[in-house]
Amino acid sequence: MPTIVEVKNLKKRYKDFEAVKGVSFDVEQGEIFGFLGPNGAGKSTTINMLSTIIKPSSGTATINGYDIVQKRNKVRSSIGLIFQASTLDEKLTANENLMLHCKFYGVAKKLREERIQEVLQIVDLTDKRYNIVETFSGGMKRRLEIARGLLHYPRVLFLDEPTVGLDPQTRAHIWDYILKLKEKAGITIFLTTHYMDEAEICDRVAVMDHGALIALDKPVQLKKNVGGDILEIATEDNVTAKSRIEETYQTEVLEKEGILTFQVERGDEFLVQFVKEFEIPITSVNLRRPTLNDVFLNLTGREIREETVSQKDRMKQGRGH
Amino acid sequence: MEGIFAIWQRDILKFFRDRSRLIGSFAMPFMFLILFGSGMSGAMSSMLGGSEAGALRDFDFVEFMFPGIIGMTVFNTAIFSALSVVQDKEFGYMREILVSPMSRVSIAIGKVLGGSTVAVFQGLLMLVFVPFIGVSISFVTIIQLIPTMFLVAFAISSFGLLIASTLKTTQGFQMVIQVLIFPMLFLSGALFPLNGLPFWMDILVKINPLTYSVDMFKKIVFDIDAMTPELIEAMGLNLSIFNHVISFTEEVLVVGAISLVFVILATYKFSTTEA
Ligand SMILES: Nc1ncnc2c1ncn2[C@@H]1O[C@H](COP(=O)(O)OP(=O)(O)O)[C@@H](O)[C@H]1O
Ligand SMILES: [Mg+2]
Repeated sequence: MPTIVEVKNLKKRYKDFEAVKGVSFDVEQGEIFGFLGPNGAGKSTTINMLSTIIKPSSGTATINGYDIVQKRNKVRSSIGLIFQASTLDEKLTANENLMLHCKFYGVAKKLREERIQEVLQIVDLTDKRYNIVETFSGGMKRRLEIARGLLHYPRVLFLDEPTVGLDPQTRAHIWDYILKLKEKAGITIFLTTHYMDEAEICDRVAVMDHGALIALDKPVQLKKNVGGDILEIATEDNVTAKSRIEETYQTEVLEKEGILTFQVERGDEFLVQFVKEFEIPITSVNLRRPTLNDVFLNLTGREIREETVSQKDRMKQGRGH
Repeated sequence: MEGIFAIWQRDILKFFRDRSRLIGSFAMPFMFLILFGSGMSGAMSSMLGGSEAGALRDFDFVEFMFPGIIGMTVFNTAIFSALSVVQDKEFGYMREILVSPMSRVSIAIGKVLGGSTVAVFQGLLMLVFVPFIGVSISFVTIIQLIPTMFLVAFAISSFGLLIASTLKTTQGFQMVIQVLIFPMLFLSGALFPLNGLPFWMDILVKINPLTYSVDMFKKIVFDIDAMTPELIEAMGLNLSIFNHVISFTEEVLVVGAISLVFVILATYKFSTTEA
């Protein structure tokens, strides 16, 4: 697969704060590439540099072969952008929003009607074409934005937290559309998220923390690197249990809200043995496969806290409505 | 090119869709005409030394105000059209515009043209007051008014865009505009004749671009040749600098030059906007 996005040592500095600390990676044509990381990790800043919205402090990147600083307009024609916060004109109809976009991007006059019908169909909004956007639900607005982002047939579609602030059902729908896009249009999709389950769907995931990339691989591979399975137990004496496990099995144990978590090889076999041997009474046990959250936990010692983040983002999104 | 048109078109589309703004635009001129016109015209003309008899018998304050009302409407609409730039920043649509391959210059020009066009529409709407005022407006007058309104609106829209490009919030913009709008209106001769002002105030009047704009509208609306010199004097229709009475052509050049300066500054400033 040829490379469509090439990033070399990209940095962004705000006064004395380095928001992005020199990231390098390639994105292959046709893949779904995900940026995973907690709020403030530098995901949006990176996407904004790649999409020419802000200038990098140093480093280079090319999209579709065009340099993001030297060939801004070429880059802009090559990409579609869906931002964290809405950028629709809500006083206008869906059709007017789409028509204006065609004109902004110089889509040939005779292609417009066909393209508009096509993208509306992809996101199931054909029957809402002449309605004012103000009357749309949050999910419909998101879908319309995705449709609009596709009108000029971009090579890469950037989505910054595409499902933030949406209810789970709508989130699932948006994902259906994104996957449909990948299949139908063969478009490269570059997205950011702090939802683990969304990162799972990506072909490859770059894990970002404090402005740096700390891992980049297929989700399956990332989880494999965690090593074995995750065992979560609660005991009558967690403090003693923690030190006992660490001593006996030479593994790191994390304690949170009364639950001890640690990694083990071949979890099912281990568990049988463990329950038999362990002296401190166990009150609950849970054995599971590692998730991307464990990947992040493993790499940083912290969790990506979904609840607080999405709450904050929802407030951001609500602004101005 | 098409980009300029699209930006312009959006402003027009939104203007005609926003009924409340359309109706609201009549409120202020209507208030001025009622208040100053009917209520105070007597006081005004006696203040100006006119009475029942004499040379100023023909001075009708409502009539005097009419070109000023047109000027004020064009001015307000044009400058507030730039508010949409700040709103677009706040509501996010500016990003959609700025990440497109359109050049910043086209976007700025499109915005200024959109604001100018809307201001011309608004100015023309003020002509509905004509039958109630008693001025006679001919078809030729209207044909002359349109390009003049456009020129004035272009200068003011550019000025608005310049301010809007430096500000991030709607409140900030509205505050700056309020602070600017009233002194400029009062010192333009739109609302009352500017006779016998102190020297320093006279200077402010002469450097105020609105003075020349309003005077152009007066020259178009009034039949100055048919007026007595006293009436011309009382109505402040003899705008002059260093004893040189300024002609319509000179005013077009002045406002044209101001337009050019502002549109260049505004475009430059807007080009530095980050999305
Ligand atoms: N314009 C700015 N000025 C100063 N700091 C900024 C600016 N934009 C972002 N940051 C900071 O950069 C960091 C990364 O932000 P961002 O890229 O938005 O994170 P993410 O999208 O991963 O949540 C944050 O700490 C944020 O506060
Ligand atoms: Mg972000």
